[in-house]
Amino acid sequence: MKSSDTIPPARTPTEWQLEQLRHGHLDLIDRHGQRHSNVDVVRAFPISVPAGPIAIVAADGTELAWIDSLALLDAPLQSLLLKELAVREFLPVIKRIETVSDSEPTEWLVSTDRGLRRFTVAHTDDILRLPDSSAVITDSFGVRYLIPSVDVLDARSRRLFETSL
Amino acid sequence: MPSLPAASHPIDGSSASRGQLLAERTLPPEHLLCLEVGEKLVATCRFDLDADLNFTDGWIVLTDRRLVADTPASFDGDSRSLQTAPSPKQTHSWLLAASTRVDVHMRAAVGRIELASGDGIVASWLFTPARAKEVLALEDAFDERIRGERIHNALATRVAKATNARDQSQAIESAALTDGSKNSNDDETLDAISSPESTSGASWRSLVRILTFAKPHAGMAILGGLLSLVSTAVTLVPPYLTMPLVDKVLIPRQSGEAVPFSMIWWYLAGLTGAALAAWLLSWAQAWTLAWVSERVAADLRVRTYSHMQSLSIDFFSGKRTGDLMSRVGSDTDRINTFLSVNLIDFSSNVLLVLLTAGVLIWINPLLALVTLAPFPLVVWLVYSVRSRLRRGFIRANVAWSDMTSTLADTIPGIRVVKAFAQESREIDRFRTANDRVLEANDRVNIVWSFFGPLISLFSEAGLLVVWGAGAWLVFSGTVTVGALTAFLAYIARFYGRIESMIRMVPATQRAAASAHRIFELLDCKPTVAESPRPINPGRVQGRIELSGVHFRYGSREVLHGIDLVIEPGEMIGLVGTSGSGKTTLANLICRFYDPSSGTITVDGKDVRDLSISGYRKNLGCVLQEPFLFFGTVTENIAYGQPQASREQIVAAARAAGAHEFILAMPAAYDSRVGERGGSLSGGERQRLSIARALLVDPSILVLDEATSSVDAETEVVIQAAVDRLVTGRTTIAIAHRLSTLRRANRLVVLDAGTIIETGTHDQLLAAEGAYFRLYHAQTRAALEAATGA
Repeated sequence: MKSSDTIPPARTPTEWQLEQLRHGHLDLIDRHGQRHSNVDVVRAFPISVPAGPIAIVAADGTELAWIDSLALLDAPLQSLLLKELAVREFLPVIKRIETVSDSEPTEWLVSTDRGLRRFTVAHTDDILRLPDSSAVITDSFGVRYLIPSVDVLDARSRRLFETSL
Repeated sequence: MPSLPAASHPIDGSSASRGQLLAERTLPPEHLLCLEVGEKLVATCRFDLDADLNFTDGWIVLTDRRLVADTPASFDGDSRSLQTAPSPKQTHSWLLAASTRVDVHMRAAVGRIELASGDGIVASWLFTPARAKEVLALEDAFDERIRGERIHNALATRVAKATNARDQSQAIESAALTDGSKNSNDDETLDAISSPESTSGASWRSLVRILTFAKPHAGMAILGGLLSLVSTAVTLVPPYLTMPLVDKVLIPRQSGEAVPFSMIWWYLAGLTGAALAAWLLSWAQAWTLAWVSERVAADLRVRTYSHMQSLSIDFFSGKRTGDLMSRVGSDTDRINTFLSVNLIDFSSNVLLVLLTAGVLIWINPLLALVTLAPFPLVVWLVYSVRSRLRRGFIRANVAWSDMTSTLADTIPGIRVVKAFAQESREIDRFRTANDRVLEANDRVNIVWSFFGPLISLFSEAGLLVVWGAGAWLVFSGTVTVGALTAFLAYIARFYGRIESMIRMVPATQRAAASAHRIFELLDCKPTVAESPRPINPGRVQGRIELSGVHFRYGSREVLHGIDLVIEPGEMIGLVGTSGSGKTTLANLICRFYDPSSGTITVDGKDVRDLSISGYRKNLGCVLQEPFLFFGTVTENIAYGQPQASREQIVAAARAAGAHEFILAMPAAYDSRVGERGGSLSGGERQRLSIARALLVDPSILVLDEATSSVDAETEVVIQAAVDRLVTGRTTIAIAHRLSTLRRANRLVVLDAGTIIETGTHDQLLAAEGAYFRLYHAQTRAALEAATGA
C-alpha cells in the first residue's frame, strides 16, 4: 500500500518544501527531510474548479502534498506552482479557426496564441462545450485547445465551429 | 560533408500521419544531416514546442557519435563530459560519451526529452503527445543501439502491461455481456407472427390510443383539423369554376354569341384565388399538424423511456437492448411521420373523396352514379390486400429489430469477437439478419407492385367510363359540355386521391405496428411494485430478517426457504458454488426482485411496504462489473449523491484508493470516462465504483464479487478499500475467493438454494463440513499455483 493511504498527505506548506532545479525539474523535500525528485503538480479539477485543490505527486504517482487552494500559499510559492502548472496544463487558446474538414474524424487548422496548428479530432464527443460559452477541443493525441468564448470568435470561425458539432 | 544515404535510415514511417502541419518533412533538414565520414544515423524525431511552449518545428537527430538538434528548451553550454561541438546555424550538437543518457518524461500535455551526462541534464526539449511516439522511438533506439542494452523504456512497458491487463479484463466482461444478451427471448417475435389477427385489432386500437397523446395539444390539433377541412374544400373550387367557364363563356362564344373577353378574367381571377388560398391553407395545416405530431412523438419517447426506467430488473434481463432502443427511437419516429405526413394526407383524402362524391351527385346524379361505380370494387381490393400487407409489415418490423439487435449485441462485445477472430461470422450473422429484412420487404413489394398499377388501371377505366357515359349524355342533351369538363376534372382528382389513400395503407400498417410495440412496452407492469401506501424508511439501522424466503425464476425454484437474521453492522459472507443462490439472495435484499413467498424485513418492516427509492437510498452496491457512465470522474463518483461537495468526493476517492490514479489522468477529476470505462483498467473502474458506494454512505452494503475480476495485486488495494467501506454497515458480501471474506462476522454457506452451514470461519473449519471442503480446495489450488510458479 502506498504511503498516502496510511499517512495523511502534508497539507500545509510548513510540512514540505519545493526546490526548483534547472531543466524544469522540481523537487519536494518532505517533513522527514526526504527528497522526492522530479515531482508533478496537478490540479484536481482543472476544468470545473481551476482555482481549486492542487496535488503534488511523486514521479511514481504517489501523492506527496495536497493544497486546498493556491490562495492559501505565500506569493513566491504560488508563482512557482503557477509556472509549473502552466507547463503541465499546456492549453493553447484558439484565436481563429482556419479550416475544418467535413467528415469525421475532422481535421482542424487553427491559429492559436502559440502559433498555427493542425490537428485531428476523432469524434464530436471530444469537443466539449461549457455553459459559459467556452469550449475545449481534445485532439487525437490528447492535446487540449481552448476557445475562451465561442461567441467572440469571428463569424467564419464560429460557423466552422458550429457546423463541426 | 557528405549527406547521408537514404537507405540506412531507421526513420519511423509514421511521420507522415494525418493531422500534422502542412509543411511536414519526413527527413530532417540539411543542416542537421551534415554527418562526418563514417558517422551513421541512428534515429530522428521531431519536437513541436519551444521553451515558451509556442508551437515550433524542430528536429533531433541521433547518430552513433552525436546528438544533433535544433535549439533545445533549455541547455547547459559548459558541460564537461559532453562537449558542444561547433556547428553552423543555430544547431546544437553533443558528442556522446559512455555516461550519456536519453530520458523521456511524459506529463499530461507536455513531454520532455532530456539529454543527460553522468552528472546531470545538459539539454531538454519539449513536445506535445503528437510527437510522443517518435520521441519514445528515439529513446528506445538510443538505449538499444548506443548503449547496446535491450531496455525498453519503463513508460512503454508500463503502458503495454496496463493495456494488456485491461484488454483481458474487458474481454472477460464483454464475454459476460454477450452471454447475457444471447439468452434473450424471441417469444414476443414469434407471437407477433403466429397471431397476426389479434395483433391487427390491437394495432388499430394502438393508433387510436396514440391520438390520446394529442390531448395536451388539443387546441392546435383541432385547428389543424379545421384547416385541412377548409383547404380540402378550397381545392374543389377550381373544377367547379370550369363548368360555367365552358358553358357560359367558351361554348356560347364558339357558337357565335358575343361574349365579352372580360368574363374570362373573372374566372381566371377566381381560379388563381382558389389556388393561392389552397396553397396558404395547406401550408398552415401542414405546419400545425406537424407541430402537434412532433410533440406527440416527443411525449411518447419520454413516456416510454420513463416507463422503462420504472420497470424492474427482470424486464431488462429478458429484452434485447437493440429492441428496446428501436422502440424508443425508430418506432416513435415512425409514428411521428405517420401523424405529421400520412394522417394529414389520409384525412384530407377522405374528406376530398366524400366532398367530390357530394359535388358530383349534386351536379348530375346519373353521371355521378356511373362515375362512382368502380369505387366499391376498389374498396374491396384495398380490404383484401390490407391483411397481406399487414402480415408483411409485421414480418418486416420483426426482421428489422432482429437486425438492430444483432448490432446491439456485437458492438459491446467487439473485443470478444476480435479475440476469437469471429469477424466474418458476425458479418454473416448480420448478413443473415439483413437478408431476412430483404426477404420480408420483397414479399411486401410483390403484393404492392402488383396492387399499385391495378389501382391506376381502375382509375383509367373510370375515366373511360365517364368519357363514354358523358358523351352519350351530352348527345342526349341531359348534360352540358361544361358539366362534363368539370366531371372529368373532378374524377381525375378523385382517383388520384384514392390512389394516394391506398398508397397510405402500408404507412398506416407500419405506424400501427410501431404503436403496438410502444404500447406493449407501456403496458408492462413493474413486477417489483411500489406499495399503494409506501412508508419512507428514512435512514435504516440495517437489521435484515429473511423468513421462509422462496424464489423462482420462471418455473425453476432457486431459493427454497431461507431463514436468516443479519444484525445491524454485521458483515455476512455468502459462500457457495456458483448457482447456489448467492446473487439471487443479494438481489432480493436489494429488492431487484420480490420473493415468490416468505418475507424480508428491514428494521422489522416488510421491504414491500417501504418506498422503493427511499429504501434503495440506504443501499450501496459494488458489483463484479462496475458500470461507468459517460461523463467525468467526479460525475461518476457522485452518481448516487449528485449534491456531494468536492471535498467529499476527494475523500471518497482517497478511501477507495482511487485518488492517485485519478490525479494521473489527463484532467484529474475532470477527466471523461467512456460508457464502458474507456481508458481505465478493471481495478481502476472497481475502485471508482467503491468510491461511488462510499459517497452514498449506505447503511446496507452489497458486495457482489467485487474483487473477482481483478488481479491479486489490485485485489489487495481494493480489499483495503472494501475494508474501509464495510466498517459500521450491514454488509452482505459474495465472493468466490474465500480470503476476501476474512473480515466477515459470519459466513453463510449456501447449497442449491438452501443454507447448509452458518458460523465464523474458525467454527466452520472445525465443523469439517462443506465450508471446510471449499476452503481446502481453494488453499490447495493456491498452494499448487504458488509452488508451480
